[in-house]
Amino acid sequence: MVMNRDDIARLNEDLLRPLFRTSGRFYWAALILALIVIVALAAWGYQLWAGFGVAGLNRPVYWAFYITNFVFWIGISHAGTLISAILRLANARWRRPVTRCAEVITVFALMIGASFPVIHLGRPWLAFWLFPYPSERRIWPNFRSPLVWDFFAITTYLTGSTTFLLLPIIPDWALVRDKAKGWRRKLYSVLALGWRGTPRQWSRLETAMHIMAVAIIPVAVSVHTIVSWDFAMAPVPMWHSTVFGPYFVAGAIFSGIAALILAMAILRKVLHLEDYLTPLHFDNLGKLLLMMSLFWLYFIVAERLTVWYGNETSEMAVYWPTQRGPFAPLYWTMIGCNFLVPFIILSIKQLRTVAGTVVASSTIVVGMWIERFLIIVPPLERKYLPFAWGTYHPRPVEIIITAGTFAAMALLYLLFVKFVPIISIWELKAGVRQESVVPIPASLLRAPDLIESPSPSGLTRGPAGFSREVS
Amino acid sequence: MDHKWSMVVDLDRCTGCEACVVACRAENNVPTAGEDEAARGRVIHWIRVERYWEGEFPNPRVRFRPVLCQQCDAAPCEPVCPTYASYHTPEGLNAQIYNRCIGTRYCGNACPYTVRYFNFFNPVWDKPLHLQLNPDVSIRQVGIMEKCTFCVQRIKAAEIQAKAEKRDLIEGEFTTACAQACPPKALVFGDLNDPQSEVSRLNRSNRATKLLEEVGTRPSVTYLERGTWRGEKT
Amino acid sequence: MPKKPVIYALCPDPEAAQRAVEGLRRAGIEARNIAVVSSEPFEGYEFSRRDHQTPMPWLAALGGVVGGTSGYFLAAMTQRSYPLPTGNMPIVALWPTGVIVYEMTMLGAILVTLFTMFISARLPNWRAQLYDPAVSDGMILVGATNLSQASRIEANRVLGEAAGGQVKEVGL
Repeated sequence: MVMNRDDIARLNEDLLRPLFRTSGRFYWAALILALIVIVALAAWGYQLWAGFGVAGLNRPVYWAFYITNFVFWIGISHAGTLISAILRLANARWRRPVTRCAEVITVFALMIGASFPVIHLGRPWLAFWLFPYPSERRIWPNFRSPLVWDFFAITTYLTGSTTFLLLPIIPDWALVRDKAKGWRRKLYSVLALGWRGTPRQWSRLETAMHIMAVAIIPVAVSVHTIVSWDFAMAPVPMWHSTVFGPYFVAGAIFSGIAALILAMAILRKVLHLEDYLTPLHFDNLGKLLLMMSLFWLYFIVAERLTVWYGNETSEMAVYWPTQRGPFAPLYWTMIGCNFLVPFIILSIKQLRTVAGTVVASSTIVVGMWIERFLIIVPPLERKYLPFAWGTYHPRPVEIIITAGTFAAMALLYLLFVKFVPIISIWELKAGVRQESVVPIPASLLRAPDLIESPSPSGLTRGPAGFSREVS
Repeated sequence: MDHKWSMVVDLDRCTGCEACVVACRAENNVPTAGEDEAARGRVIHWIRVERYWEGEFPNPRVRFRPVLCQQCDAAPCEPVCPTYASYHTPEGLNAQIYNRCIGTRYCGNACPYTVRYFNFFNPVWDKPLHLQLNPDVSIRQVGIMEKCTFCVQRIKAAEIQAKAEKRDLIEGEFTTACAQACPPKALVFGDLNDPQSEVSRLNRSNRATKLLEEVGTRPSVTYLERGTWRGEKT
Repeated sequence: MPKKPVIYALCPDPEAAQRAVEGLRRAGIEARNIAVVSSEPFEGYEFSRRDHQTPMPWLAALGGVVGGTSGYFLAAMTQRSYPLPTGNMPIVALWPTGVIVYEMTMLGAILVTLFTMFISARLPNWRAQLYDPAVSDGMILVGATNLSQASRIEANRVLGEAAGGQVKEVGL
């Protein structure tokens, strides 16, 4: 027998604890985060009431912080669903405790990101005009506009990633239903939708997840490509670039993994999940991060080098300020944050620890925000006719709203962890069982798995006494 | 016959007096921004006179270039608008439908001439300017884009008048506010589809160029200039 | 409707569950009257492989086709039915229509997958069903429904043997 009943009880106990027991720290954290979010909402209300001019935007810099946040959060959203889907399809064994933490990031980051095109609108109360619906005013979206492509892409991605997140939660909610008492039992009885766990249900769930994993990868790629086309389709110097699609997708996955590592590190510490989110996970994700850092460097070199070599007047007017002009401090900070620091930390095995990957991820999240800012603002400041050039300085409303989004992300995550087991319990159980039945290929033996890491939780592998064929 | 409205800007005539800017502001109800907001780059002027300095002190030379919406045939602002607020009229004008605009400001970014203006606040006029608003032109509220319309209200009025009198438009019957106000007659407005018109004649000039022609927008505004802009000697 | 008696046992491990299922089958109970409920998929065991066939991937593909077609009609037909001048550019532009078709194709596939999964897994269903909360502790419920008097005794014996414990009876 692989997992005995004690193991299962312990696993249930460990992973359901955050749902049933709430410390004072939770309330304090939720309160503080909620206050920041409320202040940010008030700032947006002030912008609506007083007029858009309270933001720092001007002519010619019509897009700045808000669109930076939009691109940044949509990028972060590539953490989850994309990575989780790839790991599922590749059947990476270590993925099981990671997938749900990642998928949650996707859903919430997408919601936050998708709110920015609305926040940045001059007349946000009319945002629904982007939706194709017949009206007496004959308002119809212009399908040629990349913003309408955004609308469709984000709708599809949000639907897909929410489905991808929620389907495997159903069995875990059924587990909570069985373990809970009082109002929680009633709540989870409804949420579990009457899930029992018949072979038919398990089979349908697995098939659906497989289809979703296949479908969500091209959607995720298309979403950030289309976000990049918001810029690349406009004849603005240094926006109008063919490299933007893959460059944005690579950057999105890059920042997404960094966000995932940060989220995992916090969960591990706060929820005492040291036995489940092990250094092995941080090591593996750190390797992925290192690879994406190199990809990112490759793209930015490809972009900058071709511009510099082409030496086109209007592009050079944008290029030099980022290299040695007013944007140079930001630019070289970005290079340090996205490449130098992560490269040094992540390429040295001894530094690729939990703490090391967290440091690298923190600089990457900062660096990727700066990257988006540098993509958007310098080209707008210096578009073609020099007489119309301008400069942009953020004003408090924009800074408060930006800070509010980070608080909103943390708050949503916090609440999610209170209501859903953040590690997919049934998948973890199934994974442990599968481990013992399937002989481990020699090629994989070098990468120690969850099961083989010394673990005090009792999740140790028993004798593989069962020899039935596995399909 | 369809019209193809066009403007010719003779840079060799322009004195940089900015009468066109003032006339446009009065004709089209363009709000004033005030000093602070103007310094922040929020000023709206559908036509602006760009100043470029040549040479070093003590022999500097200033060149003027009035820049207004170029009413492009292949306008970058049009396809990017998600709500068709920026669209192409059958007469080839580049129209902005204020009621449809939701303020994405994408058109403003896509425009290579930076001639599209955003209303950062509800419009205000210093007294007594509020008493001279043009009833033919709607006022734009906060959060929407606006730009030069080639004085579409004057075009429409003349067309309606001509239709009522069952005749074709007569050359010179009307013109835009900026062209009307220009003392050296540097701005000329007319129908490019009429081969006899003044703009058609000027468009055939060997001084004729287009602004930022390399971006491929096919503008309806033509600039007349001797070669010195390109650093050539005449 | 009178309640139908159902008997079930809780097996401590998948091997026992497999024996119980095989025993019930030998006792002449039809496959559709044998119920298994577990807290994991147990993909490696025969009892979990019933009802494995599903047209879900094909339905998803069909949903993609339907979604993509509706995306095409949404983008192309509406633009043709109210054509706006675009400055000598095509009324229905290939590239943007392609983007809409692509996203709607994926949305169609995703939605159909979601609905097919819910319908074919018979979810949601909040009525009383054969279940025991002990499943969440790792037990595997094996039960038999629609029993005749003779098969009931036999099933009782088989389940008791396989589960090594007591056999429960409920009415549903």
